[in-house]
Amino acid sequence: MATANLLAPPSNIAPPAALALSQKAPLILSNPPTSSLPWPLSLLFSRETPESWAIHENLFLSALRTGDEESAAQLLSRLASRFGEHNERIVTLRGIYNEATAQTPASLEKVFEGYEKILREDPTNISIRKRRVAVLKSLGRTSDAVTALTVLLQNSPTDVEAWAEASELYASQAAWGQAIYCAEEVLLFAPTSWSAHAHVATLHSLSASSTSPPSLSGLSLALKHFCRAVELNEGYLRAFYGVKIVASKLLPLLSDTQVSSRKRGEQDDEDVPVPTLASVQKLDEIATKKLGEFIRDFGSRKKGQSGYDEAEIVAAKELLSR
Amino acid sequence: MAFFGTVLNTIGALFLTHAIYSAHEHTTAFANTPLPLDITLELLVGVIILSTGIVISADKLKPIQYAKWAGQISQEGRHGEGKYTREGEEILSEGDPYAFLGLDGGIGGKGEGRRGFFDVKGKRKEYDEWVRGKQ
Repeated sequence: MATANLLAPPSNIAPPAALALSQKAPLILSNPPTSSLPWPLSLLFSRETPESWAIHENLFLSALRTGDEESAAQLLSRLASRFGEHNERIVTLRGIYNEATAQTPASLEKVFEGYEKILREDPTNISIRKRRVAVLKSLGRTSDAVTALTVLLQNSPTDVEAWAEASELYASQAAWGQAIYCAEEVLLFAPTSWSAHAHVATLHSLSASSTSPPSLSGLSLALKHFCRAVELNEGYLRAFYGVKIVASKLLPLLSDTQVSSRKRGEQDDEDVPVPTLASVQKLDEIATKKLGEFIRDFGSRKKGQSGYDEAEIVAAKELLSR
Repeated sequence: MAFFGTVLNTIGALFLTHAIYSAHEHTTAFANTPLPLDITLELLVGVIILSTGIVISADKLKPIQYAKWAGQISQEGRHGEGKYTREGEEILSEGDPYAFLGLDGGIGGKGEGRRGFFDVKGKRKEYDEWVRGKQ
């Protein structure tokens, strides 16, 4: 079953899936992939594959989230004996273990100080820097997390994962301008990523809707990026959903022709082409048709056979019945 | 279809081997006469059957258009192809190559987030609440 696969865990692990994943611990723990024989023989009798360690790491994380600390400790010691105590990744995993087992905020602060110590010894340890941001975030100190993240990004500006994190952190603070900037950096590194385009579009649409009346240029940009996501992935439900939402916001603005012609004159210097009423209507129709197709397709497949979440389909149905 | 392909491959390989053996025997026995027609025909038939078998038993082609390929991933999701690792985990078909960006959950969504910034405390709390809600 696809929901409890340790090699490729789903992109959203709900608690029941996490439980199913961590219940595989006894099986994995009883079969060590490395051999216990002395050196030359251990090479011959080792049964490890690259996948074994990915499975161990994923199992470690799901054991921690379900509170199975014993299994997690065993998995960690197995990983440490294979890759060495000072391996950057093992140090990070140990940090995650300490974070998870920290009961009070004070002990979490201690873990945080441990990270500072590691960074004093080796300031280039990027994954520990990321852990620091994660701890600050879970302590609720979002502005400190943003500062730590900007330092990280100054030192390593090609880290696309960190740009994505920065974008979401800013978005959680409703700092739309900064969030859009970071998301556009992500687009520079991953221009063919449909989810990154949909993310930028969502940010534009949220930032445009935060002003009243909604800004026409923001909505146009949102529509543009959602259309790009559709262009990259013709089965992307989220993008079609976004096209429909943005179009429903744009249509009343554009149908007020007087406003739109005036706005269009203003927008020229900002270089955001505003779509015409007819093309937005057409896009709306296409999105409606496609969403209907996805819903029918989901209904005709067996459970677990479709790539879409049930929640996505329910949301699309609700949007169409409005 | 895979079985049919294997049968064709076996027959084709047999024909081909037999044709080559015959050709070899013929040239050693009668060095200066041309190759008889039946050996040539057998060779050609063997090659054609073998090629057909190889084409039939090949994997299904992937879409070469990016949008179609990505659409297939989104629509069908990841599914097993009958191969397992030693630990008993099924090896799934390819998924979204940009899933590591963690941008698919939406703003403030309940996704897994990015691996480097794994929020172990938050996930643990979510799980604890679920367990308490069930009791």
